[in-house]
Amino acid sequence: MLIDEFLRILRDDLGLYLSDTDVDLELRDVAGWDSVHLLSLCTLLERRTGRELSLPEVLTAPTLASIYHLAVR
Amino acid sequence: MSGPDVHLLSVGTALPGPPVTNADLARRFGMDPLWEQWVDTFIGTTSRHLSIDLDSGVPKAELADLGERAGRIALVDAGVKAGDIDLVVMGTSTPDRLMPTTANVVADRLGIDQVASYQLQSGCSGAVQALDVARRLLDGDRFRTALVLGGDVVARFYDTSQDLRKLPPAQLVNFVLFGDGAGAAVLSTDPVPGSAILRTTATRLVGLGSAPGATLEWFGPNDRHSNRPPATEDYKAIEERVPTMAREVLGEILSSLSWNGEDIDYLLPPQLSGRMTEKVMALLGLPSATEVSCVAETGNNGNALVFFQLERAFDKMVRGERAVGVAIESSKWIRSGFALEGI
Repeated sequence: MLIDEFLRILRDDLGLYLSDTDVDLELRDVAGWDSVHLLSLCTLLERRTGRELSLPEVLTAPTLASIYHLAVR
Repeated sequence: MSGPDVHLLSVGTALPGPPVTNADLARRFGMDPLWEQWVDTFIGTTSRHLSIDLDSGVPKAELADLGERAGRIALVDAGVKAGDIDLVVMGTSTPDRLMPTTANVVADRLGIDQVASYQLQSGCSGAVQALDVARRLLDGDRFRTALVLGGDVVARFYDTSQDLRKLPPAQLVNFVLFGDGAGAAVLSTDPVPGSAILRTTATRLVGLGSAPGATLEWFGPNDRHSNRPPATEDYKAIEERVPTMAREVLGEILSSLSWNGEDIDYLLPPQLSGRMTEKVMALLGLPSATEVSCVAETGNNGNALVFFQLERAFDKMVRGERAVGVAIESSKWIRSGFALEGI
């Protein structure tokens, strides 16, 4: 999965208004971001990649970009 | 109030079946371990009780069934017969049908007749609103003994065919937050050994100009195919407003009775979810009071919650001990509270 597809999920499926560079913001600075979006994003990423994510590991991710890297590694 | 003291004689509760754990929900809806971990971490509710068969989606119990069970327990524990009840008040957001009221169906099943009866269309403050209405009506010479009921059954909103992975966040949280149940209490102007005085009840609508924090729809033949979601939860607004509103109510209750925080032996905080209750307790800051909560095990069963908390507190309270309860309704923002004192 490319980063463009990741951004599409954030914008279209989660309804977040993000610029391309917002994936590098600290999560607490991402407009509209909360724990329910985290769950929705992880669920969509698992379905897209076919691989399970670990919540404790995801919770250590400081940015959306780092969540992306956990999903595609 | 200038009339006689109003006493809490008994509390009864009813749940529709065994607990449904997060693992049960995960298995049923095909969610993975991450989903379960998320519920544990961010919701903090470990189980709920549902009035539907999770596998088939077939309803197992109506609100009247649960209200009848809870009411019967309360009557027996109070040593009160159906004929002694002269007032029935019930709060619910999910009546079995719009007419007849569930309050009157429960009364009928319990053999209660020739009484004044009221049903309040209410959310999470409904139990306190019902206690408030009953207490004020008992403050006169018309009524002596009231059966107060509250409960909710979310079966019709619990779509077991739903793919949780495709739900928007405002609907997703409903599947883990809520549960079903009913509670009942007998209030009387005549005390019995072990009863407690309901010192005060207070409810206040504070939602002027605010968008609803939660919605529940009902549909008829003309709009049954509407695209309106049947239930929504503005969890962000709730997270932001409920702790502050709870602190305001607690302050009002203590002030109205000239009680100090250190005087409180039991605190019954709002029960939105396990984690939210932890946050509210931290803000209320009454370290000497024993917390009485149930939501982590019962799920948020709306108008029943306060009765489950009351049941637990009432069992423990001894002469002279004081309890304060707080409930917040997020649908149009109502804050409510009550205080009890053991005699």
